[in-house]
Amino acid sequence: MQRIRFIDRMTQGKVSRRDMMKAASAFGVGTLVLPKMANAAEVLTCLEWGGYDSADYFQAYVDKYGAQPNFSIFAGEEDALAKVLAGFAADVMHPCNYSVARFVNAGVASEIDTSRLTHWNDIFPALQNAEGVLWDGKTVMAPADFGNSGLAYRPDLVGEDFLADPSWGIFYDEKYTGRVSMTDNEMAIIIGAMVGGMPYDEAYKLEGDALVAAAKEWGTKAVNVSRFLWTDSSEVQQAMASGEIIACYAWNDLIANLRAEGVPVEFAKTKEGSFTWFCGLTLLNTGKADEQAAYDFIDAWLSPETGKALIEGSGYGHANMKSFDIADPEAIANMGITDPVEMMKDTLVFKTPTDEVQEGFNKVWGDTKALKG
Amino acid sequence: MTTSSAIERAGARRDPAILRKRLAGYGLLSPALVLMILMLALPVLALVLMSFWTQNGFELDRSFTLDNYRQLVATSDEPTYWMGIPFPFAYPVPAILMLKSLGMSLAATVAVIAVAYPMAYFMAFRVTHNKALWIILITIPFWTSYLLRVFSWKIVLGFNGAINSGLKYLGLIDEPLEFLLYNPTAVVITLSHAWVAFAILPIYVSLEKIDRTLLEAASDLGDSRLKRFFRITLPLSAPGTIAASLLVFIPTVGDYVTPALVGGPGGTMIGSLVQDLFLKQNNAPMGAAVSIVMMLIIAFLVGLFLWAIGYRKLRSRRA
Repeated sequence: MQRIRFIDRMTQGKVSRRDMMKAASAFGVGTLVLPKMANAAEVLTCLEWGGYDSADYFQAYVDKYGAQPNFSIFAGEEDALAKVLAGFAADVMHPCNYSVARFVNAGVASEIDTSRLTHWNDIFPALQNAEGVLWDGKTVMAPADFGNSGLAYRPDLVGEDFLADPSWGIFYDEKYTGRVSMTDNEMAIIIGAMVGGMPYDEAYKLEGDALVAAAKEWGTKAVNVSRFLWTDSSEVQQAMASGEIIACYAWNDLIANLRAEGVPVEFAKTKEGSFTWFCGLTLLNTGKADEQAAYDFIDAWLSPETGKALIEGSGYGHANMKSFDIADPEAIANMGITDPVEMMKDTLVFKTPTDEVQEGFNKVWGDTKALKG
Repeated sequence: MTTSSAIERAGARRDPAILRKRLAGYGLLSPALVLMILMLALPVLALVLMSFWTQNGFELDRSFTLDNYRQLVATSDEPTYWMGIPFPFAYPVPAILMLKSLGMSLAATVAVIAVAYPMAYFMAFRVTHNKALWIILITIPFWTSYLLRVFSWKIVLGFNGAINSGLKYLGLIDEPLEFLLYNPTAVVITLSHAWVAFAILPIYVSLEKIDRTLLEAASDLGDSRLKRFFRITLPLSAPGTIAASLLVFIPTVGDYVTPALVGGPGGTMIGSLVQDLFLKQNNAPMGAAVSIVMMLIIAFLVGLFLWAIGYRKLRSRRA
C-alpha cells in the first residue's frame, strides 16, 4: 500500500521535498542531487597500449597503492589524443618519440619534473636528451621502452622470391594478396613511398597533392593486398601463428611471443631499412588523480624490475640501464638490442611530423581505406 | 473538428479535476519522456548544432557555417570510380560508403526476412504446444553479448575456423577458403544472424493474429495451398513483415562493431567513417554532418518505401 500511496501523493503534488529525496535515494538517484560527499582520492587513469596494462610493468605502483590504476586501451596515439580532446580525463599517456609533440601542441601535456623520479639517473643519457623526450627544452616524456618496427615473416612459408631480396615491397605486390598484413596506420603510405624510392626523411612529411598521389598509388595497394589491416598485436600474432599470413608489419613482441610458442619467425633485413621507436610516459594535465600518483606510476615504469619483465616478456628494450644487468642474459641475446644508441645507428628512427602533416595523413589514410572496393 | 468539441476542450482545460488527471498522466509518462529527451533528443540536437561548426586543427571553431555540408556535396570534374560507378564528388568517401552501407543492409535485411519468415510461419501454424518455450528458444542467442556473437562468427568463418577445418577434414578443399572472412559478405552474414530474432517475433505476431476461418474459407472455395498463402497469409502478415524489415534495415545501416571486427579493409560501412572522423581524424563536426545526412537519407528511404507499398492502405485494411 505504501507504494500506491506514494504515487497518489506524488500525482497530487503532496510529497515533500524530503520524502521525495528519501524515495529517490532508494534508487540511487540521490547521489546525483545531494551535495557531493567527500570522496576517496580519484584513481589514476592511464591511456595505454594493449598489453601494457599488465601489473608486471608497474609493480611498484601496485605495491604502494594496493590496486592497479584504471586503463583505457588505444590502438594508436591519434585515437588516444582525440579521446583526450573530447574530454576523457586521463592522467598519464604512453606516447612515442614521434607522437608526443601532438600532445604538447594540443596543450594537454605537462612538463615532467625529473627530480621527482627516483630512477631518472639510471636512464640512458642518449634517451634523456633525445628529441621527443625533450621538446622546446622541457622534458615532456619519461622514456621507458624502445624497440623496432620491422617486417616480420615466416621463413618456412614466405618463399624464395622474398628471401632472395627482402623488401617492404611484399605489402604492395599483388602476388601476395591476402597473405600479408600491414598495420592500420599511415605507415602503409610512408613505407610505400620508400619502396618507390623516396627516402624516409621525405616520405614522413608528405603533404598536399604529393600525399594524395602517394596514397592513391601505395596506400591503395597496401589496403588491397593486406588480408586485414591490424590494429591489435594479438590479432596479427594469431594470424602469423596459424599461417593465415606469411609476413606482417611487426614489433619485437610478435617475434618474442611466436618464438616462445615454437613458431619460426624472423625480422627481415629489408633493403629499405627498418625502424626504431622509443616510447615513454607523458603527464597529462587533464587528469583528476593526485599528481604524486602519476609520478609514482611513471617511476614504477622506469624501474629495472619493469625493464626485466619487458625484456624477458616482450623482447623490447628498456630505458633503464640497470634493467640489462638483471634481465636473463639469454633473453637479451635473443633480443639483440642492448644499447639504444647502437640500434639507432643501424635503423631509421621515427620522426615527428608537424601537426598539419599528421592531420593530412589521418584524413588521407582514412579515405584510402574507405575506398576499397 | 466541430465547435462543440473545441468548447469542451477549452472547458476541460479549466476544470481542475481533469487538469489534475492530465497532469497525473504526464507524471506517469515523465520517466520515459525525460529519458527520451535526455538520451535521444538532446544528443541529436547537439549533433545538429555541432555539424554547423568546424574543426581547425585542435581548435573547434564555433561560428555557424554550412561548410561541412558543402564539402559533402561539392562536385568535382574528375569522378571517383567505385565498383564501376562514377561518384562526381570532391570528397566521395561518404557517398560511396553510404551507398555501400545501404546495399549491405538491404542484403542483410532480405536474408533476415528469408530466414525469419519460415521460422515464424512454423511457430504460428505448426507449433501447438509449448509456444512460450519456442519463443524462449529463439531468444537464446540474446543471452550472450553482441560482441561475443560477432567474435564467434570470426571463429566460424576464420582461416582455421569451423567451416574451413570441417571442409578440410572432409577432404573437399586442400587450402582454407579465404573469401569467408574480412569482406562485405562476412559482414552481411554476421548481421543477418544477429538480427534474425528481432524479425521473427513481429512476423510471428502478425501470422498468429490471422483469423484461421479465412484460411478455411479460401480452401473451401477452391484455393490451392500455395494460392491460399499468397492471397490470405502473405498480405495479412505484411504489416509484421514490413515492421521486421525496418527494424533490421534502419539500425544495420549505421552499424560499426560488425564491420570493424569481421569486415576487414573492404567491409567498412558508413558507421566506420563516422567513428574514424570522431575518434581518429579528430573532426567531430564533419562526423556530425555525416551522421545527420545519414539519418536524413535513411528517413527519406524508409518514407519512400512505406509510401511505395501503400502502408496506409495496409493499416486501414487491417483495422
